[in-house]
This record gives sequence, C-alpha cells and structure tokens, in this order.
Amino acid sequence: MKKKQSVMKIFVMFVALSFVGLSAGSIFAAEAQFVIVNINAPGVGFNDPTPAAPVGGNTGTTLGEQRIIAFQHAAAIWSARLDSNVPIRIRAQFVALGPGVLGSAGPVSVVRDFPNAPIPATWYHVALANKLAGVDLLPANDDINANFSTNFNFYLGLDNNHGPQNDLVAVLLHEFAHGLGFSQFASLATGNLFSGFPDAYNTKLLDLNTGLTWPQMTSAQRLASATSFGRVVWNGAFVTAGVPNVLSLGSPEVRVLNPGAIAGTYQFGTAGFGPAIGNPNVQADVVAAVDIAEPANPPSIPAPGTTTDGCSPFLNAAAVAGKIALVERGFCGFAVKARNASEAGALAVIIYNQAANVNAAPPGMAGDGINDPFVTIPAVSLRRVDGLAILAQLGGTVTASIGNNPLIRAGADALGRARVYAPFPVVGGSSISHYDTVARRNLLMEPAINADLTHNVKAPDDLTFELLRDVGWTFPDADSDGVPNDEDCNPNSNTGPTIIVGGIDTGVANTLFANGCTMADLIAELAASSSSHGDFASAVAHLTNQWAADGLISGRDKGAIQSAAARLRS
Amino acid sequence: MAGLPPHSRSKTLTATMIAILIGAVAIFSFAVLSSITSSSNNAQASTAAPNQRRFKGTRPLVLDQQTGQQRLPNQEEVEEVIATLSVLANRPENLPETPTAAGGISVDLEGGFGGVMLGRPNADGTWETKCVFTFAEGTEFLGLVEDNSTE
Repeated sequence: MKKKQSVMKIFVMFVALSFVGLSAGSIFAAEAQFVIVNINAPGVGFNDPTPAAPVGGNTGTTLGEQRIIAFQHAAAIWSARLDSNVPIRIRAQFVALGPGVLGSAGPVSVVRDFPNAPIPATWYHVALANKLAGVDLLPANDDINANFSTNFNFYLGLDNNHGPQNDLVAVLLHEFAHGLGFSQFASLATGNLFSGFPDAYNTKLLDLNTGLTWPQMTSAQRLASATSFGRVVWNGAFVTAGVPNVLSLGSPEVRVLNPGAIAGTYQFGTAGFGPAIGNPNVQADVVAAVDIAEPANPPSIPAPGTTTDGCSPFLNAAAVAGKIALVERGFCGFAVKARNASEAGALAVIIYNQAANVNAAPPGMAGDGINDPFVTIPAVSLRRVDGLAILAQLGGTVTASIGNNPLIRAGADALGRARVYAPFPVVGGSSISHYDTVARRNLLMEPAINADLTHNVKAPDDLTFELLRDVGWTFPDADSDGVPNDEDCNPNSNTGPTIIVGGIDTGVANTLFANGCTMADLIAELAASSSSHGDFASAVAHLTNQWAADGLISGRDKGAIQSAAARLRS
Repeated sequence: MAGLPPHSRSKTLTATMIAILIGAVAIFSFAVLSSITSSSNNAQASTAAPNQRRFKGTRPLVLDQQTGQQRLPNQEEVEEVIATLSVLANRPENLPETPTAAGGISVDLEGGFGGVMLGRPNADGTWETKCVFTFAEGTEFLGLVEDNSTE
C-alpha cells in the first residue's frame, strides 16, 4: 500500500524554522520537520476516545489525544536537535502487541550510494540518507515505522515525572533514535554484513581485541566481536568528545589479577541487594565456599543442593574470611548465598552460573526481601565458563579485584571511547546497537530504559545525539556558526567579517563568541535596547572598554568602534 | 488485532479440528502481519512467515486487571507476543534491492530490523525493560520457551 494512500490522518507536528544563513554559501540548516502519519482506525490507538485526565503537562483529554501529544513531544525533542530539509515521516500506530511488548520503531528502508553519500557502498537509514542527499530518495515511502502497545499502561506525561511507570516519551526518544541511525544491520547469527555492505553505524564499531572495525572483519570475527564484553567501542569523534562531560570516572569491573593464565576483566552481573560495587573496592584472594549438600524434599525441593552452592552456612568459613568467596548459582536465591558469604566474613562474593545456565549471561541478581538486609558485601555474578576457569586455578592462588577503576570512565575504555554493549551470549541482551549497561550516568541508548533518564538527548546528560552526529546527522544552525539554534544566543547572527555600526565599516574583525553571538550582534542589541543616542554611545563605550581590557580588541579597534557609534548622532 | 483462537492441548484432535486450527492461526497471523508490516509501503506482502513453533510462558508478564496480581501469560497471549516478535524483530536476509529515482540503491526492510522495547514486571511493581533486535533475544527476556509437550 502506498503510504500516501494509507494515510488516514496526518499530524504535522513541528514546522521547521526556515532560518537562512547570512554568510555567502551558508547551508540551509533548519530543524527537521517530523510528520506523524497516524494509521489507526477511528476509535482506537491514537483515536481512542476514552476520557483521560491531563497528566504531567499533557493536555489531551482523551487517551488517543494524549498518545498523540506524547509522540509530538518526543518528535519535537529530536526536531530541535537534528536538521534536514526533507521531512521525516513516522508511520505510527497504537495496537495490541501482546503482554510484555511496549513498542518498536525502526527504519522503513536503508539506502546506499545515493547522491552526496559520505561513504560509498554503505547502508544508511533512509531518514539520514534523505538528509544527506537533500531530497526524498523514496518519496512514496515513510521513513520510520513505529508500533506501540495499547496493552501497556505508559506514563503519558511530558514532564518525566513517571514514578514506577514506564515513560512513553523516553521510550519514544529511544526507539526513534534507532529509526534515525542508532542501529546496525549485520546479522548477529552469521556475522554477515547486510546484503554484503556495511552500514553507517557499524563502520564506527572498533573491536579492541583485533584492532579492526566491523567492516574490516570477516563474518566470523564480527560474530566473536559481538560477544566481546567491554571490548567493542564507538570510534566516533563526537561521542568521544562528549564522554568526559557525561560519563563519570570509576568504571565498575571484575578483574582477575593472577595467575596470568586467567588474568583480565570479566563480564559480570550486579545484585539488587547489598552494597554497590566499589563500596568498598575489594582486592583479595578467591576461595571456593563449601557447604553441606542440602537434601531434596519433593515436591517442593525436587533435587538436592550441592556443596558448592553456598545455600547453607559455609563449612570453611575460616578460610573464606577476609577473602572473596566463590559459589555456584542454583538451589537457593542469590541473596541467601550472599548472606552466607557475609556471615562467613568474606569481603565479596562471586556467584557463577550453574550447569543449567551454562550458556547464559551473568544474571542481574534480584533480592528476596528477606535476606537482603543481611548482605553486607558486594556481590557479582559471572558466566559459568568464567567461574569454572577461576575454580580450576584454585589449586594455587587466585587474586581478584571487584570495584571501580578510578582511571576509567564508567561506560568507556581506557582511551575514553564509549563502550558498545557486547554481552555473551548475544541472546542475553540486545547486542551492539546500544551503549554498554555499565555506563554511568545512565544513557538513553542502553538496552533498558532506566528511571533516572532525562529527556535531554545530548551532552552533558546523554550521548545519543553525539552518536547520530558521528553517523552523519548535523544540528539546526541557521547562521552556520557551529552553535545549535536552541543554544545560540543569536541563531541568526551577523557573521560579517567586520563590525559595521550605522553603515560605517569599522574594519574591526567581527569575533564569534562560544555562545553563538558575534561582536556585531552585541552592538546591535545595544542599539535596539538604548533609549537615546547618548545611551547607545555610552553602552558601546562600556562594552568595547571591556573587550579591550580582555584583550579581545586593540585600543585602536576600540577607538574605531566608539567613533562610529558617536558619529551615528549626525 | 484479533485474539488467537486457543490451541487445543488434546492429542486426539480430529483432522477437521486440525484443519480449522491451522486456518485460524493462518488468518490471525495474516492479520498481525498486515497490521504491522504494511509500513513497507510497496504494496508487497511481507515475506516474513509467522513463527510456526509453539511457545509457553515461564514467568509472569501480565498484571491481571481484576486481581491486581501478576500471572503467566495464557496461550492466546503467548501466541500474540510470538506473532509480534516474529514481525518486529525479524531480520530477513536477501531482501530485494531497488534503484531509487534520485540515484542509489534501497532495500525495504519489510517492517523488521527495528528495536523492540519489552517489559516484564518486577515483584515490587516496577518494570524491567529491554530493547531487543532479534526474536531470540525477545523470547529469552520474556521467558517464552518452546513447548514440545504436546508433540
């Protein structure tokens, strides 16, 4: 079905501001226009007439209206960040998707080798390709496909005050980003590139084990890279520049220090009970805990426990005291094991997957509400293969550290590049097309929507916009001064080469300040705000004296500007 | 999206019953695919086949509206999720390439390749979310496992 035939109703949400750069040759750079194409039938989804009380700044009076307004709000946030002279069309609906499915969005198409494509033989999300080409490459098609759930009780407010509910605006910002360029297309089952070509996203993926980017790899190498926890980074200038402003120092890590055969950092899961990793940092030898093999008691306890599961008080508590306890997952809850380790005097506890979870990722460990308060030490989980590797070395001394590395930012590598999520196994979680979950602060484009996200998609709150810049997006900048319109103290600056006052060219260079204003802008503001020529001349004198004192202009420059301002009287 | 007729768990289904069941599943799957994948805009029916495997839920996903309690998804709800994931998290290969009028080559992704945000309830009433890109990621997170008990 052609999209324009299928459109039942179109909401044009944000009309682009047609700022035109003043300097010769400037590029039209205005806020992207997002168009929500509502394909819901009357009475459902966006058109649901169920009355709804306004919530969190969402003034809609029906459920359908509130959904529309939340969509508009999320699109407006992206509109303010991205520029394009081709409208971005989001084909959207609210439908029943089944329990547990909140929603989805992604590009309708990908395009390569289009006019002005920055990298040949490389796939681009169609919205980005349109922006780069300057024309709608697929005018009969929409650009992003969005399906969200009518089953799910989203928070529909716009103020991020969502409490325990899932914030629809945050979910939309996340999913729209996938549709705009924050995703890759190589198969995670075979490692093959999509239709034999890389994409704009995976050209920026750098594997630290091989030193290769994804397009440089074989399919087998890409498969291995996709599960190289902590070893895949985003190799893009804008994200890397933003990392110090967003991610905090102190990267959580589980590291084996010796023996050398198993030394290195390990993929780990964290616990929802006990002190957080790094509180305190722990470095100690590892000791395998031993307890009784708990008997079975069918039907409630169909199988017996083991001497390695840590589900009963440790028999070797004296050996564990002051060490890192190693126990096996299974038979009882995580918090029971961690409590027993705490009561044995361990400094920390490592819980590795049991045979039933031989290929599973290290789990996030939930508490049980009973034993949690008795856990006084940090607890982490490991893959089974890693736990067994440590266990195999315990005939000698194994030393490990569990804590925060103060030299590395949480979610970045040692060189300050953002880590991409590459867990083992892949099915454990949303590989590669997200930032790593160890990032602190939490980022919009981690696999999960964390409760502490803001609705700001750029540094210092986030790194999503920076990644989209790395793949080719630019920001609305009407005067091409390098400052986004919404942060520019004058989005339409006078960017002429010299300061002209009242038609008199002073010959003084027109400096651009970091906030997006030029010297000429500030003098023009004084002219607009002064009630008399005397006030204007006085204000110009005050301003230029300060510039001279700051070394921004010379004494001669100051005189030239003040003279021109004075001559305006005549 | 219409509900899925419940699968019979009997091993003594008659041929007629089986035929009706297959027909109902086919109709439901078509409805799901039509609803979600018509975004491909090209008047092309999706090539993504609905998943034919049978799954069952192993963890609570549903907040019962009447009791307020969390419960396992019933078979109809499981089939609905499977149908959704089969489309949204589909990543078909060898999709046809088409020249664009302005130059370049495009591929219609047929409604797949998107990020799919999933949620499962925690005991304290909050929700744990995860955005997935593949069917296997989705079923693993939601605790849906293949059910071979009736085969």
